[in-house]
Amino acid sequence: MTRRINHSKLELVKPSEDVDTSRRRLLQAAGLGTSVALIGGGLLTSPTAGAIETRANIVIVGAGAAGIAAANRLSRSLDGARITIIDSRQRHIYQPGLTLVATGSWKSNKLIDSNARYLPGSVDWIQDMVVEFDPEANRVATASGQTIDYDFLLVTTGLKLDFDAIEGMSPELIGEQGIGCVYDSPEHAERTWAMIDEFTRSGGTGLFTRAPGGIKCAGAPLKVAMLTEDLARRRGNRDRLAMRYQSPGSGLFSQPDMDAFLKREFPDRGISIDWHHRLKGIEPERKRAIFATADGDQSIDYDFIHVVPPMRAPDALGNSLLAWQQGPFAEDGNWLEVDSHSMQHRRYANVFGAGDCVGTPIGKTAASVKAQVPVAVQNLIEIIAGREPTASYDGYTSCPLITGRGRGILVEFDYELNMVPSFPFISPYREHWVPWVMKDRMLQPAYNAMLRGRI
Amino acid sequence: MAFSLFGILAVILETIRPFLPVIGLVIVVEIIFIALVLRRPQRSWRRGLPLALIGGIVVGLLTLALGPWLTSATHADLAGLLDWLALFGAGLAATALSALLLWPPATLFAHKE
Repeated sequence: MTRRINHSKLELVKPSEDVDTSRRRLLQAAGLGTSVALIGGGLLTSPTAGAIETRANIVIVGAGAAGIAAANRLSRSLDGARITIIDSRQRHIYQPGLTLVATGSWKSNKLIDSNARYLPGSVDWIQDMVVEFDPEANRVATASGQTIDYDFLLVTTGLKLDFDAIEGMSPELIGEQGIGCVYDSPEHAERTWAMIDEFTRSGGTGLFTRAPGGIKCAGAPLKVAMLTEDLARRRGNRDRLAMRYQSPGSGLFSQPDMDAFLKREFPDRGISIDWHHRLKGIEPERKRAIFATADGDQSIDYDFIHVVPPMRAPDALGNSLLAWQQGPFAEDGNWLEVDSHSMQHRRYANVFGAGDCVGTPIGKTAASVKAQVPVAVQNLIEIIAGREPTASYDGYTSCPLITGRGRGILVEFDYELNMVPSFPFISPYREHWVPWVMKDRMLQPAYNAMLRGRI
Repeated sequence: MAFSLFGILAVILETIRPFLPVIGLVIVVEIIFIALVLRRPQRSWRRGLPLALIGGIVVGLLTLALGPWLTSATHADLAGLLDWLALFGAGLAATALSALLLWPPATLFAHKE
């Protein structure tokens, strides 16, 4: 079933250096003492020194964080390649900031940017949506009826929020009847803030749900619960709130140290935990939620509910041959089948993936994108150059676990669930102000640098 | 995840990118002040130093007092050595930067008196 690439067809002109080498050389040439020149010159322009000459036809599907970052890296690393990115979305959303908008720390306009600002001019942007993947023919089809051939495909579609999986729920309900959801859009995050603002003033019962399976930023439901509790306490209304966290399984967080911390922290803060409670349906007009539990369905009335929908691959991807055909990643969300280390498709060697759409054990965060994209891009370039892919993704993911306004824990871990702190002086086991400052002030610039393919 | 120097510089650039016009303006103003000082026949950079240092220290103290508030936090959110070192580091940086920026106009002012 494994598809082999015909390299001769690609008219490879001069395989010379890989991405890392060119970047290393750039760094060496610049030197530590010439940072000003680097900022003024190297970072504001697109150096192509050491780029590989090739006429490969590369298609990137999806202009989210992973797609744009990959486009920038590829355009700088390849000379002569035809790079096309397909996505109809004009605006770019800084999704890691949705939690801060939904809990009143940021305004939604801070999250909204444009894809055009980050896409390199050398990349063709087809403003359309891919509706069909045909990896056997190396072709994708779009909603407007175009078919686009490729030599290499990079799948970065992101994921689909499956609100339909919750009976009675739709995104239009966010911001009404006490319903909030941090995942959908900046506008809905702002409407969620209106619900949380009201809830923390008037009190009542708050339900904080978490969908089973792979979800993006799995820390967000926890953060929303803790930031809501923190806000109520600051307002002197904590006693008026009953808060219940609804876990679909028997854990709160995949990393065991953090799981243990949260299992102490939530009860200490008066947030009760209902285990094995999966949100199954909602009756907005009655403000009632139905949960599937081990003892059958259970209805719980609420004044505020944070709905976290199940997530899965977009239909075009999930229904294609590129998706996992069996196993847990197929059952969970029809995610893209990639090798969890090389980010290369396990059956189609000319296909790579990165971002929320991939079926890997962990890693649907912007931090994962930062780690995955360089690996996917470098391995793709290795293949173009006729070499074996050598770059490897270790599962790195990160969650600035905000425990209240003004403090948090910088949690970084890998596939082994081992803590892998980027900054050894920041404890991944203690609440600090510094991770909050990073989340509030530094991560968006870091994200933008990632989009430009600089980190 | 390791960050290269190149990566850190890229993040710094993205942090200041929205303020590049303002930073450019400040640099131009500073250059004008420096040029005005250099045009004076009997210039002494030392004469502006005390005033620049006082201004820098005031800004540094304000940073210590208002730093957490500027990030929607309070001093009660500072937990342990790391946070206090970060705040004092920010205070020191603000002191040094302010003093440097104030030095040329302070020197000019001192010469006029």
